[in-house]
Amino acid sequence: MVRAADEPIQSQQLLLGLAEQLKLPLLQIARRAELASLGQDVDLAAIQATADSALRLVDSYVLGVRLAEGGQAALELEPVSVSSVLYDTAHQLSSVAKFYGVHLELSIGGRYAPVLTNREGLQAALTSLGVALIEALPALNSQQLTLQLGAHRSRYGIVAGLYSDSEALTAESLRRGNQLLGKSRQPLVGVSHSSGAGIFVADAILQAMNLRLQPTRHNRLYGLGAVMQSNNQLQLV
Amino acid sequence: MKIVLLEPDKVLANTYRQALTQAGHKVVMCATAQAAIFAADELKPDLVIMELQLTSHSGIEFLYEFRSYDDWTAVPVIVLTNVPAGEFSDCWSLLRDQLGVQGYHYKPLTSLRTLLRAVSAVNPVTV
Repeated sequence: MVRAADEPIQSQQLLLGLAEQLKLPLLQIARRAELASLGQDVDLAAIQATADSALRLVDSYVLGVRLAEGGQAALELEPVSVSSVLYDTAHQLSSVAKFYGVHLELSIGGRYAPVLTNREGLQAALTSLGVALIEALPALNSQQLTLQLGAHRSRYGIVAGLYSDSEALTAESLRRGNQLLGKSRQPLVGVSHSSGAGIFVADAILQAMNLRLQPTRHNRLYGLGAVMQSNNQLQLV
Repeated sequence: MKIVLLEPDKVLANTYRQALTQAGHKVVMCATAQAAIFAADELKPDLVIMELQLTSHSGIEFLYEFRSYDDWTAVPVIVLTNVPAGEFSDCWSLLRDQLGVQGYHYKPLTSLRTLLRAVSAVNPVTV
């Protein structure tokens, strides 16, 4: 995907996808409120989790646009521990995962040297991606309903990603999705029943940080993630 | 009434199921077209409520398969979808006349009460 703010049309397409995506949490809140008015017990924590994840998606979109507009000068780089970002992401995803019946697992094999990146951007990208995958998993042919947040070394660098047993997360589905973004109501038809905006927002944020979202494998699972270069000289204090 | 609810979003499906169950219906939730076919085989539904936007398959593909079985040619189907009417006005006659869709409801503008009224208005077919 081309960096959003560099190309207004692309940015508008992302916004259209976001608008389409936001119908879902609003619809969930509206119908559950109505259910309460029909005399049914409604879990307020679920409504709060839905609203929180929608707000986070909007914030992530704004962050992606700001990072892209500001260019490298606006990008505050710092040494970041990939493991700690994954821990925090898992924490942010836990309430949404609970209501979708998705089990979250952390798989961080070993200690990794820090990477030089924008921590807020990396976490926002992984969280957006995570919410999108959690919403999609029950409708995929996922046997386990488990989302694994993992980090591993590859020959290209450290890969931080989110993985499931669904084979739908392929390079081809991402490529086609990028082509259809803003033109189709459901650009990632094999992955998500919605607009999949969280996945495209994650990609936009990563691109603004000179990274990109790409299909990856880990522990025999299929996933999407970002490859970053670690450097021992960036050891955290 | 026995209802197969084909809704890919689990949270939304649970909400519809609660409302329909409270109204006295038996509901089986399905997130995929394939699961809905299996569920229909087991439940022998009086009604199918379905989203058109599904993962991997379109709702129209599901309808073609569903109607291909003799037992289900007359089972009423209500479409409850995020796709606005204007976007499939060209194929509405196909949905209504060939695939037997009895009603269309745009999800964002369809309250639970409206859905319950639409379900009540359906006359179950004895298979």
